[in-house]
Amino acid sequence: MGAITLEAISKSFGPVEVIRDVTLEIPEGELCVVVGPSGSGKSTLLRLIAGLDRPTRGRVLIDGADVTARPAADRGLAMVFQSYALYPHMTVRQNLAFGLENSRMARAEIARRIDEAARMLEIDGLLERRPGQLSGGQRQRVAIGRAIVREPVAFLLDEPLSNLDAELRGAMRAEIAALHRRLGRTMIHVTHDQIEAMTLADRIVVLRDGRVEQVDAPLDLFNRPANRFVAGFIGAPSMNFLTLPVPGPGGAVTLGVRPQHLRLVERGLTVRVEAAENLGAETLVHGTTVTGERLTALLPGQLRPRAGERLVLGHDPADEHRFDTDGRRVG
Amino acid sequence: MSLGARVGAAATAPLRALAAALDPAMRGWQRLAGRGGMIGLFLLPNLAIFTIFVLVPIGLNVAYSMTGGAQVFLADRPFVGGEQYARLLECENHLRPRTCRDDTFWTAVWNTARFVVLQVGLMTGAALVTALILNRSLPAKGFWRAVFFFPVLLSPVVVGLIWRWILQRQGLANLVMVEGGLEPVNWLVDRFWAFAAAVGVSVWAHLGFYALILLAGLQAIPKDLYEAAEMDGTRPWRVFRRITLPLLTPNLAVVVVLALIRAVQIFDEAYVLTGGGPGTATMFLTQYIYETGFASPVRNPGLAAAASILMAGVLVVLTLLRLSRQRRAAQR
Repeated sequence: MGAITLEAISKSFGPVEVIRDVTLEIPEGELCVVVGPSGSGKSTLLRLIAGLDRPTRGRVLIDGADVTARPAADRGLAMVFQSYALYPHMTVRQNLAFGLENSRMARAEIARRIDEAARMLEIDGLLERRPGQLSGGQRQRVAIGRAIVREPVAFLLDEPLSNLDAELRGAMRAEIAALHRRLGRTMIHVTHDQIEAMTLADRIVVLRDGRVEQVDAPLDLFNRPANRFVAGFIGAPSMNFLTLPVPGPGGAVTLGVRPQHLRLVERGLTVRVEAAENLGAETLVHGTTVTGERLTALLPGQLRPRAGERLVLGHDPADEHRFDTDGRRVG
Repeated sequence: MSLGARVGAAATAPLRALAAALDPAMRGWQRLAGRGGMIGLFLLPNLAIFTIFVLVPIGLNVAYSMTGGAQVFLADRPFVGGEQYARLLECENHLRPRTCRDDTFWTAVWNTARFVVLQVGLMTGAALVTALILNRSLPAKGFWRAVFFFPVLLSPVVVGLIWRWILQRQGLANLVMVEGGLEPVNWLVDRFWAFAAAVGVSVWAHLGFYALILLAGLQAIPKDLYEAAEMDGTRPWRVFRRITLPLLTPNLAVVVVLALIRAVQIFDEAYVLTGGGPGTATMFLTQYIYETGFASPVRNPGLAAAASILMAGVLVVLTLLRLSRQRRAAQR
């Protein structure tokens, strides 16, 4: 239960096409992370799956059944909103019970589900509080709890960690991963944070301007980006792109090297240092090549290169990525 | 120095000169009176205006209410103590104005009470329904909002006149009714219809203002909450009852308090529309105060002042009750 298929989905708001011909299969039980820059259509895609918006073209299937015309409530899905969307005038218990009461569920069953979810999320001591009396992390748990009590076939999470501070975000990331393992349900998680995507996902969907750029496992995405956009978007710091002096095999015109794969060598690319950031275990060096192209290198150790100093950098050919004039990977 | 900076310096020079001139005096006052004294100094202008235009008139009104006679100047008026209040409050049965010493006062009290209950109830309900409709994605939404808000911009006298022309015996309403084959109605001559007209016209005139307050409240409710409810399959009526209404309560409280105060003070549009008639069917408290103090052949400013003090007391009690309920609700 919980396999989700999108068949050639498009969505337009007036003349603006936000989602363009997206086809995607998310198998049962997978944690799929949709990632992309602002305005790429991530949240719209999630809302189309949820049933909060209707696609202009295409179909949404859940477990093989066409649910495109079905209301949100009848799709068996639960959504965790970016703002948590907790009812501020209700206690945590009332928030958790609200959706279940709509379906006229027996009180004993509602109480059982709430107690179980509260224990699982360790919010059993907060049930009589209101959202305004909770911290950001606690609200986040309540929002997840509200989704859990519905026992949906799949969870939709719309940037659920974006309102948390860095430390709490890390902790909640681990909890979402643990929750996914425990519940074994399909989860579609939307984020703009690539670290969140890399650490959580079974598979990552990279979106740009409403189009799917690549769908792959996190490390495959990192190691073999399908195009220049994905190569630049996945990985921090971003990949360096250098213009090849002569086109390479397959029409390659751009060479991509990740900052982590550069090292100090005796013979190689000469780079003039513009600035260096010491991160403790590593040093992030920003510089320009002799042809004036910008380049970033993440070098091990605590180096102290001065601005204007010249470094000679090299890399293993196995770590190279090559792209053609259209930005497509060619090697 | 750039040209912009020079122009700026020249433009602010008088202010800087004034500040420099005041500075020694301000520093001296701060040394003398401390931080609290400075706060007092800055509050003084507002306090002076409040004292002259609010506190002194209230004090004068209290003083007038304890005097008798028709003289205008306080010094010429004989002191009568609580006699004016006694005249207003003495009754065999307060529910039957005819048994009261001042039956017109109690007629006005009960007319006002009926008016307040009907007008505030209708106004709040109608404003809520209007705001809910205007909050939906309507075609020409701005136009409809303007249509409902337009009467608020009219002077109450204009409102009264427009509706008097519509509702008088040969008015537009009867013309339409006769054209439609119906019997004409004596809107402003019949006691029931005249009272209904006073309530209806007042609701029409002020509806837009209260609808706007509620519309602002509705728009402040995050859309996510409705989407969460939609995901849960919540029916529209339950969404309204369990989400919209509770989250709109602060705005509703403001609307009720403001409408209540305004309804108790009803005067101008009703006075122009019905003149308090037929008989005393639409005589409200403010009209009673106005006529007793200024318009009646035998003027009694003391009695009018006493009635206005009683009315203010009722308003203060109602407002405090409403606000304390709201505070308790917020704490819950």
